[in-house]
Amino acid sequence: MPEPRLRSRSLRRVYVKTPGGRTAVHYKHRKPRVARCGKCGAKLKGVPRERPYKMRNMPKTKKRPERPYGGVLCSKCMRELFVSKARLIS
Amino acid sequence: MIEIGRICIKTAGRDAGREAVIVDILNDKYVLIDGNVRRRKCNILHLEPTGKKIEIKKGASHEEVKNQFKKLNLPVWETKPKQKTERPRKRKKKRETKTTSKESKKKEKEKEKEDKKEDKKERKKEKQTNQEKDNKPQKATKETQETKDNQP
Repeated sequence: MPEPRLRSRSLRRVYVKTPGGRTAVHYKHRKPRVARCGKCGAKLKGVPRERPYKMRNMPKTKKRPERPYGGVLCSKCMRELFVSKARLIS
Repeated sequence: MIEIGRICIKTAGRDAGREAVIVDILNDKYVLIDGNVRRRKCNILHLEPTGKKIEIKKGASHEEVKNQFKKLNLPVWETKPKQKTERPRKRKKKRETKTTSKESKKKEKEKEKEDKKEDKKERKKEKQTNQEKDNKPQKATKETQETKDNQP
């Protein structure tokens, strides 16, 4: 039996094959949810799904696409926004 | 709407939301743009034309576009030339320096040893001279004492 604190499913289980042929269970923290578009709710591409300690060590350019509203809106919604703005001006 | 001198707004990529002017038409899909964006080739689908138009020649230079943009009070994108920065030294060189430092340390240690030896020699000499000096006046005093004793 594993330790009582490992019996809950708050930690995810990773089965690892050891060099001796035995399968060991490793307990790891679950990853956060996928980043989603603020307007349409689509999954954002180019935004990594990592724990905060990994995100902290990552450079800013690897954490979101390098364009206006990158990491907030999906590319479609951003384009719609700018097209509508341009049409309002003209 | 797509013609030379037409002011558009870029709707894709890093420069999205900024004003650009069409400088040249390359083919039915691509145009050359300049202005408040990096001067580059651009897909027509990534541009949203506005009602404004400026008078520039085909293939106008960046400075001509800049002058026209200033009249309209629009900002202009300026590309700064990259300044050369000193690269961090390679590891190999560092290792070399380290080895040299080790060698230098060894030399320093040897020097220290030699210095210590010399110091010891000097001290011995000093001691000897001191003893001689001490001995001489002692003898003298003894002699004087003897003389003094003898006198009365």
